[in-house]
Amino acid sequence: MSATPDMQTDLTATSHEGQIFVDAVTKRFDDVTAVNAVSIQIPGGEFFSMLGPSGCGKTTTLRMIAGFEMPDEGRIVLQGRDVTSVPPAKRNVNMVFQAYGLFPHMTVAENIAFGPKIKKLSKAEITERMSDVIHTVRLEGLEDRRPTQLSGGQQQRVALARALINRPAALLLDEPLGALDLKLRKEMQLELKELQQRTETTFVYVTHDQEEAMTMSDRIAVMNLGVVEQLATPRELYQRPASAFVAGFIGTSNLIDLRVDRTDAGMLAMDLGDGQRILAVDPGSGHDDGRATITVRPEWIKLANGTVEDRASYVGGTVVDVVYLGSITQLIVLLRTGERLTVHRLNDEVGAVDPHPGETVMLRWAAEHSYVVGSDPSPAPREADAEKGQA
Amino acid sequence: MSVADVAIAPPKPSRRHGSGRGALGILFAPVTLLVVLFLGPMVIMAFMSILKFPPNTSSGRTLAHYSDVLTDPLNWKIAWTTLWMSTTAMIIMLAIAIPLAYYMVFRAGRWELFLLLSLVLADELAPVVKIYAWQVILGRNGIVNWAIPGPPITWLLFSPFAVIVTLAASYITYTTIPIYAAMKAIDASMFESAVDLGAGWWVQSKRLLIPLAAPGIFIAMILVYIPMLTDFVTADIVGGTGSYMMGQRVRDLILGAGDWGAGSALNLVMLFVSIVFSLLAYRLARLNRIQT
Repeated sequence: MSATPDMQTDLTATSHEGQIFVDAVTKRFDDVTAVNAVSIQIPGGEFFSMLGPSGCGKTTTLRMIAGFEMPDEGRIVLQGRDVTSVPPAKRNVNMVFQAYGLFPHMTVAENIAFGPKIKKLSKAEITERMSDVIHTVRLEGLEDRRPTQLSGGQQQRVALARALINRPAALLLDEPLGALDLKLRKEMQLELKELQQRTETTFVYVTHDQEEAMTMSDRIAVMNLGVVEQLATPRELYQRPASAFVAGFIGTSNLIDLRVDRTDAGMLAMDLGDGQRILAVDPGSGHDDGRATITVRPEWIKLANGTVEDRASYVGGTVVDVVYLGSITQLIVLLRTGERLTVHRLNDEVGAVDPHPGETVMLRWAAEHSYVVGSDPSPAPREADAEKGQA
Repeated sequence: MSVADVAIAPPKPSRRHGSGRGALGILFAPVTLLVVLFLGPMVIMAFMSILKFPPNTSSGRTLAHYSDVLTDPLNWKIAWTTLWMSTTAMIIMLAIAIPLAYYMVFRAGRWELFLLLSLVLADELAPVVKIYAWQVILGRNGIVNWAIPGPPITWLLFSPFAVIVTLAASYITYTTIPIYAAMKAIDASMFESAVDLGAGWWVQSKRLLIPLAAPGIFIAMILVYIPMLTDFVTADIVGGTGSYMMGQRVRDLILGAGDWGAGSALNLVMLFVSIVFSLLAYRLARLNRIQT
């Protein structure tokens, strides 16, 4: 909370268009803390996602930005204005709900015009905005239909149009694609991303689907148990997960319990005999008790034949499972330490032969591809991201 | 497809064999009962309404009862009294039932079932006892006059006011439950998106809640108006000279004056009016139904 006055100064110094600042917000329901001192800075025009399992606090955070929930502590600042106690309709943000909340007895056009009519915009203005937004979400020709006469994707677009016609500074989306089938969901993901770029509106998107968040977002806040575990770009989240939780939640990852036998040349090493070893870049902390949890992505692990460079992990194991998945083949390799590694081999050569179950293989991966992760969320990455948010 | 394929295809299982006749047999008894017990008396009454006085099989037929009933100014006066009193009661019930149903569906939470059960139990109490209870409440020395200082208010009981209040209390269950059922089908997130778009409670009620609950409202009107048209017990117990109702008129014609012809004719006219009203309300209810 001590940072608050500085944040305020910074916010007034920059352009406020579409900017959202969630300032040390806490929300409790009875004795459950749903959101615990979460701080997020979203610059205007960003596609921002909050990602996490159900009950992680992402929807509650979104609903506090929208004004449907009141924080117990902290502030919500929209475009430089403290709106913590301002009702939803007066916040210049609009929300798209998971169940859409369309009005079933009204036509598509009546649904979309609902907000502008309440705001008493002129007929000409409503007509102009209507044709604009109908075109934007590609609903031409469906204006006189009822929502029940539309497909799931079309209903989704009506919900988007109904929010966008109000020209909100930010659009808040609560798992809006959850009700659609996989194929349609993928189409809508690209469409939403494109829509966001065209309208230059801040999108705050809540989802539990990591692939969905990765596809669309400029930045993602991975949430768990009411706190932000990591806030970063999709690439950073994938390549440099800050915690075991993030590593496990974003994509497939191997977690290895590393016994630190020696540290040299900026690396932690566990020796397994016969020249075999597992290496990881030494982060300088997180291994005080001689142990560290490291993560390595399945596609970075290669089958080794011949010599291996010094700065690489080199370890043998028995193949226990081989699954052909089309573009890749997934191997499960049982190490002599008792750990199972998932290895992905890219099938980019015709006639490449996969190992058979029971076969012994040697694995290698560069030390830079093993990251030491904290098992609990560390405050360090969040501070770093708060700075980035202001830039 | 070759001939061999056709031959190999297994014969369609004929599990429906004979079920048509079985279903008919099961339905036969209730349908017969319905016809005998429900339509039978109706036919007898229709027959009575066209018999010349005195009513017996040899006295010949006439439509005079209908013209008598329809031209008697007293009947029109009673019809008017019945209409305005039951309409007032209906309006009072809707004014209570719509907010009550809304509360039960969207706000009551764990009290929803309790409220629903209370409504049902309130209705299941013996109706005559309930009506007598209103004598205790509204009487000259009743609860209301005891609570309000000053000389007793005399128009509370044995008046149109008493009948309207008692009717409204008697039929509130049948008004609330269809509206409750209609509102149950409404997706609550709709109200949140309306709030998000700037709608206050008035706009939400006028443009969302009432139109979507309309089928339930019309069904409630069918369920409640018709029994009120024929109700005579309420007006008997708490009514006065100014609240003589259609139900009492028919009862007095038949049981009091023994005029089966006029009583039956009047009753069938009321039945006809009720059917027309029901069809109208049903049509309106369907018009507003959410297509799913």
